[in-house]
Amino acid sequence: MSLVHINIFLAFTVSLVGLLMYRSHLMSSLLCLEGMMLSLFVMATMTVLNTHFTLASMMPIILLVFAACEAALGLSLLVMVSNTYGVDHVQNLNLLQC
Amino acid sequence: MFSSLMLVSLLMLTLPIMSSIFNTYKNSTFPHHVKNTISYAFITSLIPTMMFIHSGQETIISNWHWMTMQTLKLSLSFKLDYFSMIFVPVALFVTWSIMEFSLWYMHSDPYITRFFKYLLTFLITMMILVTANNLFQLFIGWEGVGIMSFLLIGWWYGRTDANTAALQAILYNRIGDIGFIMAMAWFLFNTNTWDLQQIFMLDPNLTNLPLLGLLLAATGKSAQFGLHPWLPSAMEGPTPVSALLHSSTMVVAGVFLLIRFHPLMENNKTIQSLTLCLGAITTLFTAICALTQNDIKKIIAFSTSSQLGLMIVTIGINQPYLAFLHICTHAFFKAMLFMCSGSIIHSLNDEQDIRKMGGLFNAMPFTTTSLIIGSLALTGIPFLTGFYSKDLIIETANTSYTNAWALLMTLIATSLTAAYSTRIIFFALLGQPRFLPLTSINENNPFLINSIKRLLIGSIFAGFFISNNIYPTTVPEMTMPTYMKLTALAVTILGFTLALELSLMTHNLKLEHSTSVFKFSNLLGYYPTIMHRLPPLANLSMSQKSASLLLDSIWLENILPKSISQFQMKTSILISTQKGQIKLYFLSFLITLTLSMLLFNLHE
Repeated sequence: MSLVHINIFLAFTVSLVGLLMYRSHLMSSLLCLEGMMLSLFVMATMTVLNTHFTLASMMPIILLVFAACEAALGLSLLVMVSNTYGVDHVQNLNLLQC
Repeated sequence: MFSSLMLVSLLMLTLPIMSSIFNTYKNSTFPHHVKNTISYAFITSLIPTMMFIHSGQETIISNWHWMTMQTLKLSLSFKLDYFSMIFVPVALFVTWSIMEFSLWYMHSDPYITRFFKYLLTFLITMMILVTANNLFQLFIGWEGVGIMSFLLIGWWYGRTDANTAALQAILYNRIGDIGFIMAMAWFLFNTNTWDLQQIFMLDPNLTNLPLLGLLLAATGKSAQFGLHPWLPSAMEGPTPVSALLHSSTMVVAGVFLLIRFHPLMENNKTIQSLTLCLGAITTLFTAICALTQNDIKKIIAFSTSSQLGLMIVTIGINQPYLAFLHICTHAFFKAMLFMCSGSIIHSLNDEQDIRKMGGLFNAMPFTTTSLIIGSLALTGIPFLTGFYSKDLIIETANTSYTNAWALLMTLIATSLTAAYSTRIIFFALLGQPRFLPLTSINENNPFLINSIKRLLIGSIFAGFFISNNIYPTTVPEMTMPTYMKLTALAVTILGFTLALELSLMTHNLKLEHSTSVFKFSNLLGYYPTIMHRLPPLANLSMSQKSASLLLDSIWLENILPKSISQFQMKTSILISTQKGQIKLYFLSFLITLTLSMLLFNLHE
């Protein structure tokens, strides 16, 4: 694997670890989610451009669209939590209410 | 000479309307001017009619070319043939008497000039209808009489019932107009014209559809069964309106239309059978309903409806000329019956319920005379007016190769005619008075007396006069067994005697609670009750459900979004046993991922 690929892959891994291990704020996991999406996007675009696989060049764009949707969803969940508690500390999410 | 006199007569009618822009309109003599104008128009129209009777020459006046739409040429054309030449003097005579009557009846009304203007406009549109040579002009007259009927029925617009009745008239007429327009469209497509001459000349083959349309139009305008409730409700208007519109002129417009199209109807047996059955149902049903009504005007309205059914039956047995004769004779005695009832109503201080009248035989001799003669003429007593048309119709129906059930219905309806006429006479005229003691009964106004007198002479002699002077058209049936010839007379006498006996027997009995047959008859066969409530409710609720509930609520809201959210919530309540320790879950995910990558060396 070339250096560029390792670089991007490392960025992805760092974001993944950041998503799965965070201290108190829900916001930080959402930010890491965005980071993962960004690295995936860059990886996909570079691969498509390098191999001149023009037909697949819509894949990164569609990925971006879906990422935007999920970011909106995540933010709305954050807002719901923040409406109830004022802050988005994860320790608050221990009260299940349906 | 002939045609110009006719045009002069028709034009004379429009003069008072046009003078309404001048000052004469504000005078209190405007109604007198209108009445005089109509009498002059009547006399003027007699001359062309007599010329027509002498020579038998029909005329078409086609003067003003209005417009041409590609291949259709519309012009103002008047057809002065057998039907219109005889109908115009009759209608003008009856209208003259009614105008004079309403000078007395509407004397205390502040808007009497407007009333006369409306009546005159109605007469003009009726004349347009009758003398029209093309369907477009006929439609103008058709709609015109409908609009004037609306305005006149709702004359006392402060009364809710009057407004409802006027609206009812418009709606039922509109349904009939759909048929008319369908017929017009068919004729335009298939014969490229709206002129009657060209239609009859081309004689199209499959005329089922346009004739059905015309039958529907006649059902609407002439109150046949199915579209009949507007006619009894139209009695909310003043009595002159009922006398003019809803007995002699407007309601015969539907029959007149079918008579105009008789060359097409002679060849179409299906439509003839339909017409026959429709007329038979109408005449029997309305006669049954008339038996138990208590409002004198409603009884006479149902009587009109029954006679209209009889006219439609006559068209159904392929005798348009007899139907036309019945139209002309019926105008006389029906208008007179309405005027007599108006005289009674006004004398008893606006009392219309026959259960509250009685003993008028001695108090109002002239009205009594004319009421009895009118009823006798209506039932077809020999050698009065009604006999010349009604008896001929029954004889022809008896001896023609026709539907026996329809014939039976007509005969039963004839006897019921005698029955309800006896009922009117018995309750209103005979016996002891049932009205309040303080009365102002008088018949001394010359307007009232002269107008009823004219129609009285007409009711007695007009049948003889007209049928002896018109030229022979279809040959009536000359030979038949004696019992057939006397059928109409026999059932009429049966009706009279039965009704008289029943009335005398039950006169002093207590009114028991109504049987179901009585209720059927009194509530007009439940037809208005059902048809005025159920279909509108069904339509409106179905449209509301399909538009707002089906489309908006269900498809757009409920199918995907709300159902998904409901489902998710329910299942998550059902199967979740978590405690919300998110960090632990994420951590375990990470450790699993790392371990699996280390153990299995996935990158190789």
